[in-house]
Amino acid sequence: MHRYLRNLDWILVGAVFLLMAIGLVLIASATHSYAQSTGQMVHVQRQALFMLVDVILVGLSLRVDYRSLKQVAVPLYVVTVVLLLAVLLFGVTLLGAQRWLKLGPLAFQPSEFTKGFMLIGLAAYLDNISYSLNNFTDYLKPIFVVLVPFLLVMKQPDLGTALVFLAFSFSMFLACGFKMKWTLLSTLGGALSLPLIWEFLHEYQRNRIRVFLNPELDPFGAGYHVIQSKIAIGSGLLLGKGWLQGTQSQLNFLPENHTDFIFAVAGEEFGFAGCFLILLLYLVIIWRGLSIALNAEDDFGTLLAVGITGMFLFQVLVNVGMTIGIMPVTGIPLPFLSYGVSSLTTNMLLTGILLNINMQRQQLQF
Amino acid sequence: MLNQRFATRLKMMLLAAAVIFLVLLSRLAYLQLYKGDYYGKQADGNRLRSTRILAPRGLILDKDGKPLVNNFAGYTICLQPHLEYKDETLALIGRLLNLNPQEIRRRLKLAVNTYEPVRVKSNLSAGEITSIEEYRQQIPGVMLELQPERKYLYNELAVHVLGYTGEVSEYELEHGLFKGVQIGAIVGKGGLEQQFDSVLRGTDGQRNEEVDVRGKVVKQLENIEPKTGHSLVLTIDSRLQKTLERAVDTHLAELRASGAAPNAFGASVVAMDPRTGAIRAMVSRPAFNPNLFIHGISSKDWKVINENPFHPMTNKAISGEYPAGSTFKVVTGTAALDLHKVDPNELILDPGYHWAVPSMGNAGGEVLGLLDFQSGFAASDNVYFYELGRRTGIDNLDDYAHRYGFGSVTGLGLAEEASGLVPSPALKKKLYQGEEGEWTLGDTFNVSIGQGMVLITPIQLAQMLSIVAENGVKHQPYLVEKILNYDGSVAGVPERKPAEKVSVSDETFKLIRQGLEAVTQAGGTASYFSSLPVAVGGKTGTAENPHGKDHGLFIAYAPADNPELVIVCVVEQGSFGSTSAGPIVYKGLEEYLKERAGLPETVGPETPKQEEGK
Repeated sequence: MHRYLRNLDWILVGAVFLLMAIGLVLIASATHSYAQSTGQMVHVQRQALFMLVDVILVGLSLRVDYRSLKQVAVPLYVVTVVLLLAVLLFGVTLLGAQRWLKLGPLAFQPSEFTKGFMLIGLAAYLDNISYSLNNFTDYLKPIFVVLVPFLLVMKQPDLGTALVFLAFSFSMFLACGFKMKWTLLSTLGGALSLPLIWEFLHEYQRNRIRVFLNPELDPFGAGYHVIQSKIAIGSGLLLGKGWLQGTQSQLNFLPENHTDFIFAVAGEEFGFAGCFLILLLYLVIIWRGLSIALNAEDDFGTLLAVGITGMFLFQVLVNVGMTIGIMPVTGIPLPFLSYGVSSLTTNMLLTGILLNINMQRQQLQF
Repeated sequence: MLNQRFATRLKMMLLAAAVIFLVLLSRLAYLQLYKGDYYGKQADGNRLRSTRILAPRGLILDKDGKPLVNNFAGYTICLQPHLEYKDETLALIGRLLNLNPQEIRRRLKLAVNTYEPVRVKSNLSAGEITSIEEYRQQIPGVMLELQPERKYLYNELAVHVLGYTGEVSEYELEHGLFKGVQIGAIVGKGGLEQQFDSVLRGTDGQRNEEVDVRGKVVKQLENIEPKTGHSLVLTIDSRLQKTLERAVDTHLAELRASGAAPNAFGASVVAMDPRTGAIRAMVSRPAFNPNLFIHGISSKDWKVINENPFHPMTNKAISGEYPAGSTFKVVTGTAALDLHKVDPNELILDPGYHWAVPSMGNAGGEVLGLLDFQSGFAASDNVYFYELGRRTGIDNLDDYAHRYGFGSVTGLGLAEEASGLVPSPALKKKLYQGEEGEWTLGDTFNVSIGQGMVLITPIQLAQMLSIVAENGVKHQPYLVEKILNYDGSVAGVPERKPAEKVSVSDETFKLIRQGLEAVTQAGGTASYFSSLPVAVGGKTGTAENPHGKDHGLFIAYAPADNPELVIVCVVEQGSFGSTSAGPIVYKGLEEYLKERAGLPETVGPETPKQEEGK
């Protein structure tokens, strides 16, 4: 026990706990009118409950060396592909997307878990090949490993998760030693293939991009979210309107404000100061994550840490960017803040891995 | 080890993260700090809805406080301004209310810069209200409201004085003709409704509500109560006004029917208290019903008004310019007597023509022989007055005409008052070239008898006669006695010019009055006035009209010894003043004397017609 406490990255733990606490406060506000009409704070309770469960899970996971994940990497990858196929074949459509699986009374989004599984699988794979990346064909294999789940997720369609896949893959490729010129070439190739991708995009995704570039195109439809979000955030000024005083959120002008648009609640009720604090906490997490990567004991640890950090960074960028109108609308939740059990658990466990990597390092120092 | 080989890359990632966060923060700063106010307003725009509560317009009352114009409550339908309305929705509304959907679309566009509901139609019938309620689900954003509507209780009575009301037009808005007014507001048009619009209009209130995203009212915020407009108490005596209007209508019909004046459709009357300048009645014919304009006049009704060749919407009492005819002999007489160009007892010969311009004589070619002032005036002998004009000279005639107020507006407080014309040699030179522009004695003769280029308005005549009756005291004619607050207390009195004294000797005025009183006795041109219970001073006039029959004029005051009322009447194309305008003035004086004696009105008092608007 003592060992754990001594080797724990307290700064990382502190930042995550602070964010989760802020998350509860924001969710409470966002679901306030619902809670008032039903008499129960359902969302807050659920989120808090799972926070507790996840803390325990993480605590337990720290007893196990992260390197044992290498052994389950391949099965995890297989499970990922299977889950994604299952969603495509048997999935239930909720909120307009076929991303959900029902297990009795529970509906969960496998894509949240597949993010984690994919990450681990890829890290293990890259760990094996990191020293043998010489010719072009060597690069094709890891790309293919990423491509299969990527396409499956795109098919759902879930552009957000697919992009997250790309994000952590890219980070890991960078850390793994992919030659800069290859990465640049492939980015260029990606950019050139955008028109092709445009063809494959669903109409609503295309509209998302159109409306992203000009939200006024559809102020009562697709542009509504962003316009309302900007209004909510902008009107918060420096110190916000105060907890439970956010008029846009309370009067239901801002939909999805307890999930994807939770940051707008923060902007409206706690102003620039609040937003600054939240972003600072995320930056702390990124810093700690990269620190852990730099000081990891082995390559697997580095790759995992880089991938996890890259994923967090990407999610924060896309989600916050969306609420302030510099990113298109995607379904990516804000880690630790957005309401959502799957996302919370995945992010917690990934944080657990970071802590794990850090702890194992300490162990070697006598 | 990867983290040794690519340590720089990892550190670059941290830097990249920091840069990303800076970008996010700067965007946040832009939204929250730089544009915070803008978004704050947007947020309020979302959730705050303020609707205008229309203030009731002030009332217009006659001199005894009897309402002539008031308001009643009617239902109005409005649309919330910032919703998107599909064409089908507007088409449905148009169908239910019998409106053009394009017109509704246009109104919505005009209101785009306000947050106010847009008025679509006022004074809905019960049927229309029911239909709207039935289809409410399909017409989101529609609001039914109870609002005050204008009511002219006696329809056409005194319409030219009162004016009418209607929605402010785009032209009026663009040119800033009314201050502090927005599209959909009701403003006064014409008459006192327009002149006193800002006094009558009151201050609209505001109902402030907080709404949620569905437009449902979540909370009532503080309202601003509307302030009812001020009311006007007029100088108008509605009994006298009604009598004169009826007298004009009846008599004109008789004139037309008898064939004596088949085109007598236009006429005006002014009745004034000479002691103060208060206008007791003002009639202009033809007239129109102002109630037609309240919700926008129908094209059918407008056609009738607009195509009437006798211009129902012009107030002939103040805008009609006519040659004065023999009534102008008051001016000539005043000038000659005051300047001692003639002695009242002096006998002047009328051989049927004037020796200096033999072509000019009396109207009917009469020869009246030797006349002193009294008989010359009473008989309205032209030749006598040619001589007076010759001795006085055109410059003096013009001078005295101006002293009486001719050639300028009286300033009674209505728009579109005409100033008439006092011709002078200088004017003639300006208007005509060469020899034609030279002033002749014949021109002076014409001015002496009020023909030729002389132009007057009926109210100027009333003012002239009042000056005579009051021995030279000139009062400003006015219509509004006082302005009241909503609770009936006096708010103020409109500014009036103080009384002036016209510099003419009392002796002159006395002689003029004697002449006027002789007109209504045996031997005068209007001797039938002698059957009234009091002595009356009056003068007939017949104005030459090159475009049709002559216009008939009559001016009078009574009682002669202590005048309380001056009445002036002009009948366009009525032919002789004595037979066309005289009888109308007679009826007016008759009723006035009855009222004065406490006798009941000649025909029972009319109850206001309660017409449910169309």
